[in-house]
Amino acid sequence: MAKDPRVTRIEDLPGPKSQGEMDEMKMPYEEYCKKAFDVGNEHTKPEALKGIKWLSCTMYIFTPHSVANLAELGAQVVKIEMPRMGDAMRHTSPFNECYLYPLHDTRPMTGTGLGFTNANPNKYFLTMDYHIPEMVEVFYGLVKKFDGLTELYRPGTMDKWKMSYRYLSEINPRFIYVWGGGFGYGPKIFGGSYDILGQAHAGLASITGMHEYMGGHCTKQTNWVIDWQSGNIITCSILAAIHHRRKTGLGTMIEFSQVQVPTRMLGHTLPMYGKFGIVRQRWGNWDTQLCAHGIILCGKSDFPDADNPQDKFDARYVMVSAFQDADFKELCAITGMKNLYEKYKSHNQRCEGEAQVEIYTALEKWAEDKSRSEVAKILQDAGILAEPVRNDREVYESPHYRERGTVRWLDDPLFGDMLLHAGYSCGLMEKTPRRINWHWRPVGADNKKVYQDWLGVPQSKIKEWYDKAWI
Amino acid sequence: MCDIIWCKKQVDGKDCDTINYLDPYYFWNWEGKIACAECGTVYYIHMINGFMYKGPEERPGEKYDILPLYADKPYDGYSNYRPGVEGRTRPYECKPRSWLTGTADMVKFSIRNRPVRGWRPQPPSAGLAGQFPYNWDIQKLTPEVWEEYQQKLAKGEVKDW
Repeated sequence: MAKDPRVTRIEDLPGPKSQGEMDEMKMPYEEYCKKAFDVGNEHTKPEALKGIKWLSCTMYIFTPHSVANLAELGAQVVKIEMPRMGDAMRHTSPFNECYLYPLHDTRPMTGTGLGFTNANPNKYFLTMDYHIPEMVEVFYGLVKKFDGLTELYRPGTMDKWKMSYRYLSEINPRFIYVWGGGFGYGPKIFGGSYDILGQAHAGLASITGMHEYMGGHCTKQTNWVIDWQSGNIITCSILAAIHHRRKTGLGTMIEFSQVQVPTRMLGHTLPMYGKFGIVRQRWGNWDTQLCAHGIILCGKSDFPDADNPQDKFDARYVMVSAFQDADFKELCAITGMKNLYEKYKSHNQRCEGEAQVEIYTALEKWAEDKSRSEVAKILQDAGILAEPVRNDREVYESPHYRERGTVRWLDDPLFGDMLLHAGYSCGLMEKTPRRINWHWRPVGADNKKVYQDWLGVPQSKIKEWYDKAWI
Repeated sequence: MCDIIWCKKQVDGKDCDTINYLDPYYFWNWEGKIACAECGTVYYIHMINGFMYKGPEERPGEKYDILPLYADKPYDGYSNYRPGVEGRTRPYECKPRSWLTGTADMVKFSIRNRPVRGWRPQPPSAGLAGQFPYNWDIQKLTPEVWEEYQQKLAKGEVKDW
């Protein structure tokens, strides 16, 4: 103890006595992460975007996903759908099998397809035929109370209805307005778009898949990657607009063409054309800049007795990466391709097209009598980066994803036990994590909440509008 | 594009003229014998990375390794053998699931045996203008599913994952 009791000496206090000791006493990094992110207890923490209120006149995946991001982060998002029909995406289900009922009171035998999932969590579902003269003022009433709107009609449609940014900003100068659609203004202004059109039109499909020489064709991703990615990029723009508004007090308009997004994803393709006039070729499961660095086919499935063809036939692919000289040497040694190492000692030699054809053919020949897991294990044991190409069942069963909460079960208030990833596959946030409260709700499920509680419309009026199918 | 073997074999004084379609994904790297779906002539092929390196060469008297996936006859009004015709074409098994039905699948329990609501028909909304202002109470709204769930719990069939 110090002689003077009023003096506090660090060595008399509990805890570390020096910087070194403090570093030693810190919990291991992994423990720290577990505690900080506290997976599974997201709902006990605050929401980052609480207080932001957003309107969504959107359909399908691309624009709904741009506001689903906001809803997962805590914004109050109201999705406005056409009365008794709803978003066209509700009527889309994989193989017309996976529906959840009901769609709406007036259509008890129609359901919402699982295709609707992930683009619409946590939203409030309102119905309104906003383009009829009777409902225009009600729509403006919402605009006055909300921070922004996302819509996806053909360019100029909302303008024709006097609901575009230049009209709405007169009602609410802080309003942020997003148009998201196919091409945007320009020579193809009236062109509509789908994900596949985006992938094809913007050059992405031309560099996806194996070369025709190898039996492949230009390929689209099975899932709608451009829709999902476009949604993410719009969300970035919205967050930037909200920040800008905080500084200036003014809203803005965001005009987002979907066919730009795959161009953004082309990497060095366009600059290379600009510099050398080279049109990039597709190279499929291999890599133009790295070799060996690709996906190979093994001879045996990991699940030869499975019922499901995806397991029975497709559990045969392994990703292999051994492009550094030492790794490639090791790869050649354990696969008996020593002659190839002698032939292609430098990385530049290995990346040549002919060399890649020879190397991957030899690798597949070596893997011909082996299963996927055998190949992965042999390579991993030799210190080479290799992982089986997993299907969704294997992702579901992966302990890594479970521990991090990437895939998890939700007891949905309306639909019961549902498996999801959604916002939980978007990275972890310590203080304000994303969360899922519900997958979606039936068409117009929140009509009373919005019209009566938020806008003060009397119940008799709501009933009248409902009976006339205005809402 | 799908790789093909166009069978020109003379059968009863007439060209067989059957196009046997091979599944390209199966045949990127493959060596073996394939039988024509119409006349059964066996052809040898050797494909490397989707390129027909050798063949098709006739191999009379030898046994085939595999059948084509689909075959048709363009000079005969495109009469065809669809996948899975016994002895002529092989079945197409790359379906998303083996039990694909094409009609709405109304399960009442998830893969971990907990209740999934939302099968058809569901009771109508309670209240005004289609609203659903409550959590769906399975015990009150569908007691028979609740009962089945209790039995599953008792048998230990309900899992966490």
